[in-house]
Amino acid sequence: MTLLEISRAAARLALEAGAREAAAGAYRARQVEVGWRDGRVEKVSEATTRGLGLEVYADGRYASVSTSDLRPEALGRLAAEAVALARALAPDPHRRLPDPALYAGRPEVDLELVDPALGALDVPARRRTAEALEAAARAVPGADRIRSVTASVSDSEVESALVHTNGFEGARHGTDAWLGVEVSVQDPDGRRPEEYAASGSRFLAALESPAAVGRRAAERALARIGAVQGASAVLPLVVEARAAGRLVGFLLGPNSAAALQQRRSFLEGRLGTAVGSARLDLRDDPLLPRGFGSRLHDGEGVAARRLAIVEAGVLRHHYVDTYYGRKLGLAPTTGRPSNLLLAPGPRSPRELLREVGEGVLVTGFLGGNSNGTTGDFSLGIRGFRIRGGERAEPVGEVNVSGSHLDLWHRLSLVGDDPYPYSTLRTPTLVLDGVQVAGA
Amino acid sequence: MTSFDRFGVTERMIREALATALSRGGDFADLFFQHRVGSDVGLEDGAVNRAHASVELGVGVRVVRGDQTGYGYTEDLSLPALLACARTAAAIADGPARPGPVALHVAGGGPDRYPLRRGWEEVATGERVPLLAGLEARAFAADPRIRKVNVSLRSEAGTILIADSTGRIVEDRQPMTVLSLSVLAEDGGRREQNGYNVAGRAGLDFYTPERLDRVVREAVARTAILFEAGPAPAGELPVVLAAGSSGILLHEAIGHGMEADFNRKGTSIYADRIGTAIARPFVHIVDDATGAGQRGAINVDDEGNPAGRTQLVEGGVLTTFLHDAISARHYGVAPTGNGRRESYRHPPLPRMRSTYMLPGPHTRDEIVASVKRGLYCQNFSNGQVNIGAGDFTFYVKNGWLIEDGRLTRPVKDVNVIGNGPKALEQVDMVGDDLEIDEGGWTCGKDGQSVPVSQGLPTVRVARMTVGGRGP
Repeated sequence: MTLLEISRAAARLALEAGAREAAAGAYRARQVEVGWRDGRVEKVSEATTRGLGLEVYADGRYASVSTSDLRPEALGRLAAEAVALARALAPDPHRRLPDPALYAGRPEVDLELVDPALGALDVPARRRTAEALEAAARAVPGADRIRSVTASVSDSEVESALVHTNGFEGARHGTDAWLGVEVSVQDPDGRRPEEYAASGSRFLAALESPAAVGRRAAERALARIGAVQGASAVLPLVVEARAAGRLVGFLLGPNSAAALQQRRSFLEGRLGTAVGSARLDLRDDPLLPRGFGSRLHDGEGVAARRLAIVEAGVLRHHYVDTYYGRKLGLAPTTGRPSNLLLAPGPRSPRELLREVGEGVLVTGFLGGNSNGTTGDFSLGIRGFRIRGGERAEPVGEVNVSGSHLDLWHRLSLVGDDPYPYSTLRTPTLVLDGVQVAGA
Repeated sequence: MTSFDRFGVTERMIREALATALSRGGDFADLFFQHRVGSDVGLEDGAVNRAHASVELGVGVRVVRGDQTGYGYTEDLSLPALLACARTAAAIADGPARPGPVALHVAGGGPDRYPLRRGWEEVATGERVPLLAGLEARAFAADPRIRKVNVSLRSEAGTILIADSTGRIVEDRQPMTVLSLSVLAEDGGRREQNGYNVAGRAGLDFYTPERLDRVVREAVARTAILFEAGPAPAGELPVVLAAGSSGILLHEAIGHGMEADFNRKGTSIYADRIGTAIARPFVHIVDDATGAGQRGAINVDDEGNPAGRTQLVEGGVLTTFLHDAISARHYGVAPTGNGRRESYRHPPLPRMRSTYMLPGPHTRDEIVASVKRGLYCQNFSNGQVNIGAGDFTFYVKNGWLIEDGRLTRPVKDVNVIGNGPKALEQVDMVGDDLEIDEGGWTCGKDGQSVPVSQGLPTVRVARMTVGGRGP
């Protein structure tokens, strides 16, 4: 049976078991990974996995089940169990399938999410790529300080189907491929700092060369040697594109209808108001060709459309799913972010450093958290001091803290380099006057 | 005799799969069968109106050659699928075939650290519902400022069966439960949210009246105090860690760094330091699988090896790494029962179980009294470490400022940073009040999550970097 047929069968079985409505989604994923370390293969993992999720609406009640057992006889049992589970709960008047009007207008475009070339790739080819990643890392100047190089070459192909008993059917199919390298180096003082580089794409041919990725990982790791603890100060932060996704991500959870309805959001009551400087422009774009978060319909079957989240600093839309939308009396947008694009600026990261003069370049975060209810955050960082407009000594064991209600108003400059290997496509960000805690 | 029926496999299928796994050489192979039934029931906006039930059933096949691993997994437990999986894993080796086991034997006589009077599969949803509703009512009654209450109850009934190429069969039944209460309170236009959770390898009787009282009391108190709390200071300060969940210090500062895979690869800051003094003589740190009913307890690890208590630091001296089978063979030592995995979809790695520091010579009161100005850390949400550089962090949800030896003002939401070996060197007082935290801690590594426990007596660290924003 195809995934669509399995999903249809599961949804029909749920109705036969007494559900008034049901949603069923089946998936199949093939994943291959070659891990490589210091001259040889460390791990080869290869598998095809599958599963099914079923949501039932019965007697005004709701429950969901999931299983890895897709045999027809098991599906009937699962559907009956799901209905029985729902019936053991309290009614919830807000639970029902989405209004079918939301399914309409699904774009008919090719998002270019499937690379047929992936199927022709064999393990020896992946192994050669891993070997090339290590060779490139070990070819950089100063490589005698490298202790260990770990490379990973992985790819996957995921197919899924979704069926709602009130008239929605949809399918998704996507591939992705990744190169990753982690390099550990010897600091003369005994520490062994590590750094990584990665490249990923829907299409094999669009990956960066192993030479570029391996070299970048080694250069980043070697640059960590001699890291010192930064001093406590209030300074401009320049947050690298790759790291900036974590900061922007803290805005997403509290911008969901679930967080707002449960009153756990510092964005409550701020729709239509400035939550950041005019440089902050965030768009959710599910129709981005080849995007990791691209889709024609969301997880509830709602037809995909582009959505302005923040325009010139002003909060324009929340992420509203149909359930919490009903609870709040808000029209649904979409429950889950797809690709989040932060509008880039005209200048390169190097020019931004020159503009800033004195500050801290953040290349990564270490732990820390953000309180979605109040907006307070406190995050460990690593990176470099910026002196005289140039990257200076590496720093670690430092922390930045503040409130998201204040931080984004401090966004003064945005780079021209959106990070392409994530659903959060953030460029380099410059934030003025942030509290740094260190020695 | 075993759970073969549960997985629909026979001894002959297992022998054939192991022989296929070793068909291209390889030192060692194992099959990891897993069946896990999970249940989540949730309360929101005054009603127990959501539930999720899940079934995971599958097998992972591993072939090891030296420190190289071939791995495959499948949800299809038929013989052809099992053999296909074994052939995939076998490809890590390229030599002549080695024989699989001639006969299988069940390794019995192990401990039972989580006996159940009643398994979770026997507990109907209808029995779970009143537990959640009762907690909600009590939370609302505890403080008039509470606006929202969320309660969730998770249970798992898990069975693993490991068959390896020595012919050994090991089985374990692994229950788990987590109860979590979260509240949102509002006071004069300000909102604060916090909660409390408890977890263990136990059944429904884990939820004694005393434990449920504590859940309500802690969730409400930890939220209410936030209205009085301000930001912590910024900079280097003495830090006092309260007994209990402060064991997160050990998890990040030393636990991960002592996982033998990082040391075998030479990438840990602790590599080559076994036998050297890294802390004061009154510092003893263990990783312990034996705590009855603890979330981090296991009878056997996910390679079928017996799991006991491993001494990481004894009298301030670094003693033993945490080993899985690959690293134990690399170092020529016995496995320590730390080979764990998230599920059949992953090969095992050296992981922690319940990590804690043994009691020391000081009292809590004398430790707090000794600090002129510092931070007292009570509750935590998360932590992280860079294994090689040694930098680690933990995020303090609730704490206090210490001034002149007294707790003076509550603080909240502050990240604390240290460097592993430096922080351990600076542990200069250890209390006599060890507590193992009962919370639902989960440790992530290489994309795999496993349940763990942690504990600590009250401890003073002479200096750490406090990521606050006040003076």
